[in-house]
Amino acid sequence: MAGRMLPRAPEGGSATPHAAAAPAPQAPASLRRWVEGIEGTFDLAAGVGLATRRLRLAGEVVQLRAAGPAMLEQLWPAFAHLEDASGAEPALTVNLWDSESSGVAHPPLPRTDANEPRGAVYYAAEPPLQVAYQPGHSLMSAFDAESASAWFWCASAANLPFWEPAAPIRQIMHWWLTDRGLMLLHGAAVGTPAGGVLLVGRGGSGKSTCALASLASDLLFAGDDYVAARPAPDPWVYSLYSSGKLEPDHARLLPHLPRPRFHGDEAADEKSVFYVQDRFPGHTCEGFALRAVLVPRVAGAKPRVLPLEPGGAFRALAPSTLLQLHPARPEAMAEMARLLQSVPTFAFEVGGDIYEIPKAIERLLNELPT
Amino acid sequence: MRYRANAPQVMAETIGGETIIVNLATGHYFNLQGSGVEIWEGIAQGESVPAVVARLEALYDAPAGEIEASATQLVDDLLDEELIVAGDANGSAEPVTPAPQPGRARRPFARPSLAKFTDMQDIILLDPVHEVDTRGWPHAPASA
Repeated sequence: MAGRMLPRAPEGGSATPHAAAAPAPQAPASLRRWVEGIEGTFDLAAGVGLATRRLRLAGEVVQLRAAGPAMLEQLWPAFAHLEDASGAEPALTVNLWDSESSGVAHPPLPRTDANEPRGAVYYAAEPPLQVAYQPGHSLMSAFDAESASAWFWCASAANLPFWEPAAPIRQIMHWWLTDRGLMLLHGAAVGTPAGGVLLVGRGGSGKSTCALASLASDLLFAGDDYVAARPAPDPWVYSLYSSGKLEPDHARLLPHLPRPRFHGDEAADEKSVFYVQDRFPGHTCEGFALRAVLVPRVAGAKPRVLPLEPGGAFRALAPSTLLQLHPARPEAMAEMARLLQSVPTFAFEVGGDIYEIPKAIERLLNELPT
Repeated sequence: MRYRANAPQVMAETIGGETIIVNLATGHYFNLQGSGVEIWEGIAQGESVPAVVARLEALYDAPAGEIEASATQLVDDLLDEELIVAGDANGSAEPVTPAPQPGRARRPFARPSLAKFTDMQDIILLDPVHEVDTRGWPHAPASA
C-alpha cells in the first residue's frame, strides 16, 4: 500500500446539507483533531433527536446511537437478533448519522483523487484512533479505542450501497473486535447450542447457500458472510449479522427464505439481502463453540464431507479475510492458523439437493467427538 | 545476499506443512510445500541463499547443483512477486546451519514450486486502500 499524503480538507460541521465550498479551510494537524471534527458534526446532527438501540455481541453490549431514525432503519435489521435489554454498561458506543436526513453537512473530508476506483479506502491510524473514508460511497468510519467510541457517517441512509445494511459498520467491528482480542472472519457459521461449524471460502463457493439452506433444519444461524471468533485454544464463533446475501438467481432455489429486503440487480453485480430474523427469529443465535471448519464447493450429487488438511482450509479463510479488512494485523495469520489447527477441517461437497446440506452438517456435528 | 519478507504488505504463515503467503498490495496469494517451505522460512529469517542451500543439501538427496538452482529460481520468483526484498547484510549474524544427523538418510528432493492464486485480486483492484503517513490525516500542505 503506497503511502499517500492527503492535502487540506474542507471544514465540516456546518448546518447546511452538503455544503459545497467551506471558507478558509483549517486542516487539522493531527488525527485527534480530525476525529474531534467528526464528533462535532455528529453532535450537530444529533440535534434532530437521538434514537438508541443496544445489542449483545461477543458477550459485550454495543450501543448504537443514531441522529434521527434513518440510519437505524437501514442498519438495525442486521443486528435485531442480538438485541440486548440488560441495561448493562456498553463496551462500545457507535454514533450513526447521515447528512441527507439530519440536514447537517458532511464531517471534515480529505481531498481525494477522483480517478480512484469507487471502492477506494483512505485509511489513517494514530493510536488509539483509526479512520477510514470511502469517497466513492461517501462513507466514513472512525474509532477511538480509548473512549470505546466510534462514528459512522454516510451521505444518505436511503442510498447506502447494498452491502452496508447487510453487514453494517463492518470496519468499526473489525477494529473493535481486534482491540478485544477477537477476530472478524470472512465466513458463514451454523450449528447447535452444543457447537457448530464455520464455512469458509471465497465468494461464490457456497457459504451463503449452506448457511441459508440450514434455516430449513434445526440448525441455528450465526452468519452467512462475516462472523466474529475467539481464537484457540477454546475457539468460539459469535454472530454479528442476521443478514443473508444471495445472487438473485440463487434466491429462487431457497423458497423458505423471507422476501428480500433488498432486491439485487444482477446486471450491477448486486446481491439480494434477506434478514433471517424476519422469518426465523428462533433460528438465530449469539454464537457457539467452534467444532469444525468446512470448505464448501459445488460438486457431487449428494453432500459429502471429506478430510482436508488445515492448509487447505487456511487458504480458503486467510486471504479473503485479510484482504477485506483493514488493517491486517501481522499476528492475524498466526491466530487463524491456530484456530484451524484446534478443530478438524473438512472439504464439503454440497451436492445437488440444497435441503440435504443441513442434514450432512448435522450428521457431522453428531459424529464429531465432544 | 540476504533477503527478508516484504512486510507489512506481505504476510505469511506455515500450517500443516504448507506456507501461505498473501500480498496485501496486489491481492495475490501463494502457497509453497515441501522444500519450498524450508527455503521460504530460511530466507524470511535472514539466512543467505548459500546458507539455505547448504542446509537443504544436508537434508535432501539431489544431483549436484539441483538444490542451488532450485533455491535460486524460487528466490527469483519471490522477488518477481515482491514477496521478499533485499535484506540488511549488516544485520543479525548468519543463522547456524544444522549439521546433518549421522545415520539419518537424506530425503529425496523435489523442486519447490510457488503456486499463485489471483481469484481475490478484485478486492484490491476495486477497493484499494491508501495508507496515510504519520504526519496526520489529512495533512495541510505548507502553502495552505
